[in-house]
Amino acid sequence: MVQVLKQYPDESINVNAGPVRNFTGSYEQMLEDIIDTMKAHNLDSLSAIEIGYAYQLMVIREHNKYIPYANPRVITQKNPFDSTEKTSYFHNIPIMVKRYQTLSIVYDDRKGNMQTKQINDPEEAATFLRTLDYLFNTTLIDRIPPHQREQAIKALAGKGHMPDTSDAFCPPESKKVYFVSVADKLLFFMFISLLLPLFSISKSTLEGWYTFDKIAFPIVIILMIGFFFYAQYEAKKYKQCSSCQVGNNIGVMVKRVVAASAFAIGAYLFVNPN
Amino acid sequence: MARLVVMGGGVSGHTAATFAKKWLGDEHEVVVVTPNSQWNWIPSNIWVGVGQMTKEDVVFPLAPVYEKAGIDYRQAKAVSIHPEGKTDSDTPYITIEYTGQGKEGQTEEITYDYLINATGPKLNFDATPGLGDGKGQLGEHTVSVCTADHAMHANLELQKIFEKAKTQKQKILVGTGHGMCTCQGAAFEYIFNIEHEAKKAGVRDNLEIKWISNESFLGDFGMGGLHMKVGGYVVSSKLFAESLFAERDVPWLIGAHVTKVEAGKIEYELLDGSTGEEEFDFAMLIPPFAGVGLKAYDKNGEDMTDKIFAPNGFMKVDADYTAKPYEEWKASDWPRTYQNPDYKNMFACGIAFAPPHLISKPMKSPNGTPINPTPPRTGMPAGIIGKAVAHSICDMIKEGENAHLHEASMAEMGAACVASAGKGAFDGTAAAMTVYPVVPDFEKYPGTGRDTDYTFGEIGLAGHWIKHILHHMFIYKAKLKPGWTLIPE
Repeated sequence: MVQVLKQYPDESINVNAGPVRNFTGSYEQMLEDIIDTMKAHNLDSLSAIEIGYAYQLMVIREHNKYIPYANPRVITQKNPFDSTEKTSYFHNIPIMVKRYQTLSIVYDDRKGNMQTKQINDPEEAATFLRTLDYLFNTTLIDRIPPHQREQAIKALAGKGHMPDTSDAFCPPESKKVYFVSVADKLLFFMFISLLLPLFSISKSTLEGWYTFDKIAFPIVIILMIGFFFYAQYEAKKYKQCSSCQVGNNIGVMVKRVVAASAFAIGAYLFVNPN
Repeated sequence: MARLVVMGGGVSGHTAATFAKKWLGDEHEVVVVTPNSQWNWIPSNIWVGVGQMTKEDVVFPLAPVYEKAGIDYRQAKAVSIHPEGKTDSDTPYITIEYTGQGKEGQTEEITYDYLINATGPKLNFDATPGLGDGKGQLGEHTVSVCTADHAMHANLELQKIFEKAKTQKQKILVGTGHGMCTCQGAAFEYIFNIEHEAKKAGVRDNLEIKWISNESFLGDFGMGGLHMKVGGYVVSSKLFAESLFAERDVPWLIGAHVTKVEAGKIEYELLDGSTGEEEFDFAMLIPPFAGVGLKAYDKNGEDMTDKIFAPNGFMKVDADYTAKPYEEWKASDWPRTYQNPDYKNMFACGIAFAPPHLISKPMKSPNGTPINPTPPRTGMPAGIIGKAVAHSICDMIKEGENAHLHEASMAEMGAACVASAGKGAFDGTAAAMTVYPVVPDFEKYPGTGRDTDYTFGEIGLAGHWIKHILHHMFIYKAKLKPGWTLIPE
């Protein structure tokens, strides 16, 4: 019997499916329901949990045959690639995730006998892994890097675009921020030094702060030069990262160089005790 | 006056003995027979294995604790059980062989009215050629964190690897050393603590760290997996574990049965039937568990070990041991009282009782090699079972042998586990997990066999703090310090 396909945001599929233990009776009915639903919706694959059965059973259409995989496991996986996938659960919105092309799997066949299989085709492997994920409480969204998941959830709600998750995009943690972080801390103390002449502070203390300003200023300049070249390197590595674009990098650099120069001039005029 | 003899002084035996003595008082006698002079909080051994704790942090001497409690302590290993006594006496007894107290090697008979078998496991290193030394002990090619001494040795070897990694590439392999191992959690904790310490030592870039396990999927943990809460999202333990390994650049081999260990190399067979080799400079492989090899004799001195013990050496209790296919396994197969069916004054608890079957789905490679985790019976369940058994025996002593027995079925029991992924007051991480019930009940909870509301985990710094607190709390409890009975198992 054709069953209702669960679709996002229905979260009732978020359970770990239990193992198939019996291959007669209710199993036959469940398998029939999965195949009927696949035929009705022209699906290439379907897991039991997508129509409400919390069991480790999935069916894949292979050469117009509907092959059941019960209790499937991926034993080895090799050759990663970026796979753009659509599922009925996510209303066929394309989402890019990392998959593996070469798989060695074990599963129970229709009679409950354990079988092994090798897969070495990107499309076939992606279909298998995507359908298998549902059996382990995992959807395409869960395969997206955590820092891009919020954007993906907004996109599914019709607010904005689905994030691009391939390796060519923004790194989760860019090391160029370290340059900026150190520079900002130095700039903060340079700014503080400008306020000191407003208070009754001894000449020797002001001399100390002025010495700090004289050291901090060139360090900020050097850090910003280092930032620019490292950012350029990352921009080449992650070509479509918006925060990696040269305009952004120049902007970040110029703001701090200007601030450092202004603070240095201010320090020369107001902090310098001589 | 009745005499209760407890064989074993680990989590389960120590819990049973100390509670029994508290409840029985001085009117009755409690004897503990254990070959160890020290009690070991085993979950913290992984921190000894990376040099973050000393052996002294995880052990304490048993003698003063038992003296304070009024328990008769014999540092000896149990050798045989004689539940029918001997030809000239009906009084049951066990034979022991001393390992300390100045009586090393001496044997003795101890009679009993009630007996608890809490011997724990034999670390069956020799089940995998090369993993053991051929004499039942750890072999020369790998290390272990199963005991405090093993963990100390592991740390010494690990520090050598860290030293070498300052100048050259080194490869570390951690996981299970046989297809039928349990305790994947200890190996899981150890590999991530190594990775954490390697980063702190500045040698991570020169270390290749690899995981090998008999689980059929990452995150099985020998329990069939669970939910994890990570950063506000609910994900499966499979995805959680895969992400954890990928983020820390630790590749994995799963569904693996290690067939042979040599110097710097293992051979393995996978669930898909393929075979392979893996080289290493340092390897920590958990051995499979077996019974400690106790013998049982009848009144005439005839060997009846097969009657009392299952083939794997664990003691038969009130479980349904009838061989049946996976689809017919039931929660009710699991024992409730842990009483031996033939001798009502004998009980087994902790790892020492024979489970009726696996918890995970049984799996075999196409070559017929069984590769799946065996049922975990350590930690919280071991303590709960030990206490329930002590309660039953105390009631039998006080109310007669027909007293109602206390029950602690693993199919009706929840368990909590905290797995460390790195030690540090501010940068530590641990996964805290709860499972209910430990043994899936497919009739009560169709599908997963578990109550999903109570089967979940969460990872973070708080988990590390909890593990650290538990370390101190359980050692405090085991030392029988004031208020020890208030601390749960």
